[in-house]
Amino acid sequence: MDNRKRKLGIRMWRARYIYLLLLPYVVWLLIFHYGPMYGLLMAFKKYSARLGVWRSPWIGFANFKRIFITPGSVTAIKNTFLISFGRILFQFPFPIMLAIMITEMRGTKLKRVYQTIFTFPHFLSWVVVGAILTSFLSSNGGINTMLANMGMDKINFLSDSRNFLILLFASANWKGMGWSAIIYMAAIAGIDPTLYDAAKVDGASRLQQIRHITLACIRATIAIVLILDVGHIMSAGFDQIFNMRNPVVSNSVQILDTYVYDITFLATPDYGFSTAVGLFKAVINFAVLLLANKIVHIISGERMIG
Amino acid sequence: MKIKRKRYDGVDISCFVCLTIFALLIIVPFWNAVVISLETYSAYIRNPMAWVPGEFTWDNFEYLLKQSNGLIVAYANTIKVAVIGTLSGMLISIMAAYAFSQEFPGKKPLFYLMLLTMFFGGGLIPTYLLVKNLGLIDKHAAIILLSLTSTYNIIVMKNGFESIPRDLPEAAMIDGANELTIFARIMIPLQKPMIATFSLFTIVGYWNSWYWPMLVLNDSRKTVLQIFLRSLIASASQNVSMESAAMEEFQTYTLGIQMAAVIAVILPIMMVYPFLQKYFVKGVLVGGVKM
Repeated sequence: MDNRKRKLGIRMWRARYIYLLLLPYVVWLLIFHYGPMYGLLMAFKKYSARLGVWRSPWIGFANFKRIFITPGSVTAIKNTFLISFGRILFQFPFPIMLAIMITEMRGTKLKRVYQTIFTFPHFLSWVVVGAILTSFLSSNGGINTMLANMGMDKINFLSDSRNFLILLFASANWKGMGWSAIIYMAAIAGIDPTLYDAAKVDGASRLQQIRHITLACIRATIAIVLILDVGHIMSAGFDQIFNMRNPVVSNSVQILDTYVYDITFLATPDYGFSTAVGLFKAVINFAVLLLANKIVHIISGERMIG
Repeated sequence: MKIKRKRYDGVDISCFVCLTIFALLIIVPFWNAVVISLETYSAYIRNPMAWVPGEFTWDNFEYLLKQSNGLIVAYANTIKVAVIGTLSGMLISIMAAYAFSQEFPGKKPLFYLMLLTMFFGGGLIPTYLLVKNLGLIDKHAAIILLSLTSTYNIIVMKNGFESIPRDLPEAAMIDGANELTIFARIMIPLQKPMIATFSLFTIVGYWNSWYWPMLVLNDSRKTVLQIFLRSLIASASQNVSMESAAMEEFQTYTLGIQMAAVIAVILPIMMVYPFLQKYFVKGVLVGGVKM
């Protein structure tokens, strides 16, 4: 036993430089990631700034019960699910289609130019993208002028809640689709080319090849991306909604994250309740991620975790 | 001999048409913003969808530079945050990634300590209170520290270090080099491409960060570009709803000025992106390998 301890001591002494290299990161991790986790106690307390986190009185799950009886948070939960579900339906498939089209397209030079264009918006913030698209889509903006010039009716993109919802999905695709396609393109590039040659010999058309070879071979990648997307079901895109919403539609796109922001920074804050909403969101996200992982594993044999 | 050329079939044509439409959908709103920023407000009112500026002017950019000193201050602050943040963030994560690529007592628990933060965290309010309690409100240090590095970056870089053949550092060890010399003289130079890629991502991340700056930086002298842009746009749209009383004020933040601010904020990214695109793409692919 003593011998073992001494050996551990020697091994640790040998690794002293490793610990030195790791030290700044671990200190940062403890302060900026584990520090806030201590603050999660607020969710179970009636927090008062005067008493601080530790001395504020415990109130059990009262803050969590409030989530389900406060009209604002109930609406936010509904909207969050609705928008997340919409994103999986109307955003998730597009990068796959884009990746297939780019790989099927001929002309290497044009391909490269297009890819630069497609991936560029990913590197802009939603502040910037929101500003550009809002100006372009406003009632007197570029696109409505074009419609009017062609003798068509103007479309109210920004202040009609149904149109705004469609705009959310469309603009997220506008910004992120090209970037998300990269992972699928890499998967397609890894497919054994002899599979296609064999299919050609058998007389398969290009569409059949896409369906039975390309899509079949990138199934694993599709599954992993889907699991990750579903794992964010409670985060319905704060950055985008926060930067594109306006007073007319803000109620119909109030998601949990914008709700927490609004009640904390635009009203008299109740930190305990806000923390509870945040914790509720994180726990559901994590649970759904594990569940999605399990379901996808049962269906297709692919999995991401475990 | 005749070279046989394959004819274009339906798939080729539909791919080309779809991709061209999508490319135009991305370019047109951008181009529209550029045109608006380079024309007078009255020209914009006459034709909001001009393909070239109706009445060319630099006024909008001049206004940003002269009348509102916010842009210059925000630029300087953003560069400061991005440079310090990227240098210190990369340093700390390279060191950690290298350490995790080695064997040492306590590696597993420390690794799980890091991994957990990928799936779970304190969230908005506890983090905000932490920043407040540390006295970091209105300090650039808050912005730098909050997004210094990520678990994802460290894991991918750790895999990079692990891919280096073992005999290389061992040979240096026999020659009398210690752990730190090996790290600085052998391991880091070998990982230069990966370090460059992650530095790019980090610097763009700082350039685009707006959420924590919005919460933490109230002092206008501390503002960063994204916040400058946000407040410029927000005050313009507020004035629209206030109508006549504030009309004069509204005129100072015309759409031309707003779009000029947009262009000013994204200009550096726009200039370098076409040349660095392949490094960004490499970055996402290197992360594609399983952990």
